[in-house]
Amino acid sequence: MKLPLVEQDLASCVSCGLCLPHCPTFRVTGEERYSPRGRIEAIRQVHIGNEPADASFIDMMDSCVQCRGCETACPSAVPFGRLMEAARQGLAEHTRYQPWYRRVGYRTLSHHRLVLVGSRLIALAQRLHLVPSRRLGLPDRLPLRATALRAVLAPAGAPRVWLHTGCVMDAWQRDVHSAALAVLRVMGVAVSLPKRTRAAGCCGALANHGGLVGIAREQAAATMRSFPGEDIVLVDSAGCGAQLKDVGHLLDTDDARRFSARVMDIHEWLAEHLDRLPPAPGPRPAHSVAVQDPCHLRHVQRAHLPVRRVLAPYLNLVELDDDGLCCGAGGAYSLLQPELAGQIRNRKLEAISHCGAAMVASANPGCSMHLAAAGLVVRHPVQLLAEALGLLDG
Amino acid sequence: MTRTTAVEPRLNDALVIELAACLSADRVHTDHLERALYGRDASLMRGDAGVVCFPRTTAEVQAAVRVALRHGRAIVPRGSGTGLAGGAVPVQQPVLIVTTKMVDVEVDLANRVAWVQPGVINLDLTRQLRPLGFHFAPDPSSQQSCSLGGNVANNSGGPHCLAYGVTSAHIVAIEVVLPDGELAMLGGLGADPDGYDLRGAFVGSEGCLGIATRIAVRLTPNPPAVNTLLADFVEPAHAAAAVSAIIAAGVVPAAIEMMDQRITQAVEAFVGAGYPTDAGAILLVEVDGLPSGVAAETAIIEQVCREQGARSVRIAADEAERMLLWKGRKTAFGAVARVKPNYYLHDTVVPRTKLLDVLQQVYAIAERHELIVMNVFHAGDGNLHPLLVFDAAEPGILERVHAAGEQIVRASLEAGGVLSGEHGIGLEKQSFMAWQFTQPDLDAQARLRDAFDPHARFNPGKVLPAGSRCGDLAHLDAQHRDRLLADGVWV
Ligand SMILES: Cc1cc2nc3c(=O)[nH]c(=O)nc-3n(C[C@H](O)[C@H](O)[C@H](O)COP(=O)(O)OP(=O)(O)OC[C@H]3O[C@@H](n4cnc5c(N)ncnc54)[C@H](O)[C@@H]3O)c2cc1C
Ligand code: SF4
Ligand code: SF4
Repeated sequence: MKLPLVEQDLASCVSCGLCLPHCPTFRVTGEERYSPRGRIEAIRQVHIGNEPADASFIDMMDSCVQCRGCETACPSAVPFGRLMEAARQGLAEHTRYQPWYRRVGYRTLSHHRLVLVGSRLIALAQRLHLVPSRRLGLPDRLPLRATALRAVLAPAGAPRVWLHTGCVMDAWQRDVHSAALAVLRVMGVAVSLPKRTRAAGCCGALANHGGLVGIAREQAAATMRSFPGEDIVLVDSAGCGAQLKDVGHLLDTDDARRFSARVMDIHEWLAEHLDRLPPAPGPRPAHSVAVQDPCHLRHVQRAHLPVRRVLAPYLNLVELDDDGLCCGAGGAYSLLQPELAGQIRNRKLEAISHCGAAMVASANPGCSMHLAAAGLVVRHPVQLLAEALGLLDG
Repeated sequence: MTRTTAVEPRLNDALVIELAACLSADRVHTDHLERALYGRDASLMRGDAGVVCFPRTTAEVQAAVRVALRHGRAIVPRGSGTGLAGGAVPVQQPVLIVTTKMVDVEVDLANRVAWVQPGVINLDLTRQLRPLGFHFAPDPSSQQSCSLGGNVANNSGGPHCLAYGVTSAHIVAIEVVLPDGELAMLGGLGADPDGYDLRGAFVGSEGCLGIATRIAVRLTPNPPAVNTLLADFVEPAHAAAAVSAIIAAGVVPAAIEMMDQRITQAVEAFVGAGYPTDAGAILLVEVDGLPSGVAAETAIIEQVCREQGARSVRIAADEAERMLLWKGRKTAFGAVARVKPNYYLHDTVVPRTKLLDVLQQVYAIAERHELIVMNVFHAGDGNLHPLLVFDAAEPGILERVHAAGEQIVRASLEAGGVLSGEHGIGLEKQSFMAWQFTQPDLDAQARLRDAFDPHARFNPGKVLPAGSRCGDLAHLDAQHRDRLLADGVWV
């Protein structure tokens, strides 16, 4: 089966195996079929060698977390993410790889009201003990109500930014956005919030990872339109940020490329404006915080260091000794591949318990939910910052 | 290109059923696509893995070997598959025994050893030992991925083997499942175990004498101080002269690595370590030991390099910079794909005094065959790694690459060198064996192999070329190499 890929990308893998230990699924299985080198070879066999795209092939593709740890590890610069997206797109177009109900699910993310209502229904069911939250990887108690977010005004001449609020994150972790707004307010920054037009909100990352490129394009385009003008677009979810920075490539238009160039992970921006952050009002807390790098921040955006620059003045940070190996959350991965996701998470839990930290800072909603479901105390770096600045009381 | 026509193994084959009964059904794989993934290692060769097994224990390896024997199937051990000589490439649709699920480590500090299962990754072991103040000294550039079983089988070396010795110097004892399925302990923790040093014979045996299932590796104390220097030369000749001058000055650094301009440029694009991309060659030199000695040796090396014409000598300021400098060296093979998608290399060793001479011949050979060559190598012990980089899609290029490779091997042997410093012979270099060894030498090696594996079940067709045994009259000639390749393999 011909897959919509660039053959040069395939040829660039020299089969050296240096990526193997950086792949979470290889780490927990030791099997080539669950490794980057194996997956590339499988794609090559299907695309060039006429092997059928059978259940075995689909399993090799589906089991990939798309963490792209292999990309930062690969000395040959194999663009693995592109190859995997192409393989999944090919599968989605030519097979029943993505059943109708998943397609409907991804589309629903564009309708923010539905997302909010759905989330509240689950929250209610949780209160009535009707859903096994931990098994499904859901947060223990989804919020029943969330305070409305408000744009931040600032005098003329102040820096102006947008804050991307997203779909599921806005429903489940709106307090992260609130913390981000509180921090930006004390920094004297004007923050605008996107208008909720039809289909705007979801950046399209989940659909894109599932190979549903058409849906992803629609969602990305609508989201892009909700941020008119030239101001920087800040993103406090690593997965969404990675997707929005890639809209230029996904839509392949000048507008989209201009838009992508305006997107920044919020920590990147904060790290460039440290002088606007006030000193901590109280003494430095005694406990230490482990920094967990979301893959889409570390391996895709390659913007994990700013998190440290922003937090270090206020908190004792400790590093995990695992080369930034994925935690297994991977967007919808922990729902779709619970067994592998659990094994991968166990490795992460071990690394966290070695480092002796009391809590974990994670800049991606998926990772933080996945880790919290294992009983860890996980906060978004922006929440930790707001707390250190004394902005979260009351 | 030919591909094997042997029968497909099926789930209901007796072989597969029996293997599954010894291991478990989910650790015996026959899936067609998966077998293709296990058809190759980091070399250019390919084969068809008949049945892929993932044992966890010694007993499971023994059982799998016995089943394979009963069914008359060949057995090929495989670790991480980073071998560069096709050692783990399956021939004769074998039972492939993959060790990646055998990853237990037991540290025995009293005896200064760690007992490891063969699938443990080299760097993982060193990391695990770090809090105890030790490491495993052999550090192949593939250290982040390669397995200790593979290191033992290939007697692998690395930059730091200049001072510390290659793998064989760090292996105390090996538990081996022999080709008849019996278990043997080669070597031992005692100072000088009785009898022949079969441990020594097994290290470097490339999976032909049995499977290592537990390995006692020596623990090397971490040096209290380390310094890494990067010296930048306009002329490769000056860099080569500096290598000899450093050693002549009485310093034995832990490592001396040399990289030429092309490879430096390719690597710098990946690591951004600040390598000078306009240098004709760079040297990466490391010294370790007590702080006072390290300081003194650093000063000598810096001075020697400058005397030999180094434009600059940079000393890594901290551990992070040191790791970055090494990362460039250690990812060099992979980084060549930024220039062309394929590479082919030899790892001949030449006397240090002939280094420059052979290097110049290597450039000339590549030029004659209109190929790009990149050089990155263990300069301290004269172990060359001339990487011929090419695009296999270009018609006729493989022939040119092989011809150039052969001439490089010849030039090295003529300079008094040997065929392989560390990567092994495997499938790829066996036809060159007759260039280095006389017929009686080859015959002696064949007899050793026969003593372990009389039915030639283990990794058949590897290392020793057909014709090694006396009385076996096949004439060895490079032109006949293709005929010597086992069924189901293509280059
Ligand atoms: C980028 C790169 C850099 C490299 N740098 C170096 C270097 O600096 N120095 C160096 O020496 N090599 C180097 N190599 C080659 C290779 O990494 C080493 O030879 C390594 O030791 C192979 O280990 P492996 O686990 O990948 O073995 P594999 O490739 O899986 O197998 C290699 C051989 O060992 C046998 N084998 C594996 N496990 C066992 C076992 N348990 N018992 C018996 N036989 C077994 C196999 O049958 C095969 O013949 C490099 C390779 C790459 C890709
Ligand atoms: S993806 Fe990169 S690191 Fe992995 S085997 Fe291919 S070339 Fe090597
Ligand atoms: S993206 Fe992550 S899970 Fe997928 S092959 Fe690469 S390292 Fe493995």
